[in-house]
Amino acid sequence: MNDQVLIDKINEGLKDKVVSITNPAPRRLFLKVTADNLLTVVGWLKHELGITHLSTISGLDLGQSFELLYHFANNCCALTLRTEIPREQPVLPSICEIIPGAILYERELQDMFGITVQNIPDGRPLLLPDDWPAGNYPLRKDWQYERPPEVIPGGKS
Amino acid sequence: MLQKLTQWSRLKSPWILHLNTGACNACDIEVVAALTPRFDVERFGILLEGTPRHADVIICTGPATRQMKDRLIRVYEQTPDPKFVMAVGACAMSGCVYRGAYNIIGGIDQLIPVDVYVPGCPIRPDALIEGVVKLLDKIKKGTK
Repeated sequence: MNDQVLIDKINEGLKDKVVSITNPAPRRLFLKVTADNLLTVVGWLKHELGITHLSTISGLDLGQSFELLYHFANNCCALTLRTEIPREQPVLPSICEIIPGAILYERELQDMFGITVQNIPDGRPLLLPDDWPAGNYPLRKDWQYERPPEVIPGGKS
Repeated sequence: MLQKLTQWSRLKSPWILHLNTGACNACDIEVVAALTPRFDVERFGILLEGTPRHADVIICTGPATRQMKDRLIRVYEQTPDPKFVMAVGACAMSGCVYRGAYNIIGGIDQLIPVDVYVPGCPIRPDALIEGVVKLLDKIKKGTK
């Protein structure tokens, strides 16, 4: 299955669900979808194309919005779904019912970006320390971190 | 008499606890290399212990992470007196490349008192042995 066949299949199967398809390099596809269509597209990719391996989900702070990149892979291409959600209302549907392994990435998104993932089976914090203050999201660009002052044992400097 | 005996046994056979407070595992592997037959510190009586309650020396690898803070202090408090701490590797000394990250407090000495620092990234087993020798010297002289 080469790239063009794949693009044709996606165009045919998803039609208006996909905003745009780009193919910047061989065996590399980018699909832009809206957050509402995300579940449908992921489900279609899994059932029709057999793309079941989610490599990772990466998040991107664009200032006014967050961009989420779902990196899928199978043996003929690496396929990335890009979706954007507004910063004021960072809500995302969970894809765990289709790909259960996504839960770790989704919990990390909640930790690091403060995105609310709807219908997540287990939404506990994953990576941040137990005593982490609420409302602090380290990967947001506007997050400021003040380093605690270091003490030098013995009082020398 | 009894004190002399305990001092002697402490010097001849320090029991160590290997504690990873957030290291990348490189230092841990080197600590294990120091314990296994190639360098074999067991011939000096240094014995790896599984619990802080039996240990004399805590060997800390890695920077002190925020998550590890309470646990590190707890392990330190569980160790019976007199206890000694070795900060092993560049991260345990200052935080190294992790210094200033949001989940890092800094070196081990930000949380608990440290007796010996062993530099290196990762440390060589020779350096670890040297560090233990220095620590034993320190105990012998009674500076600690």
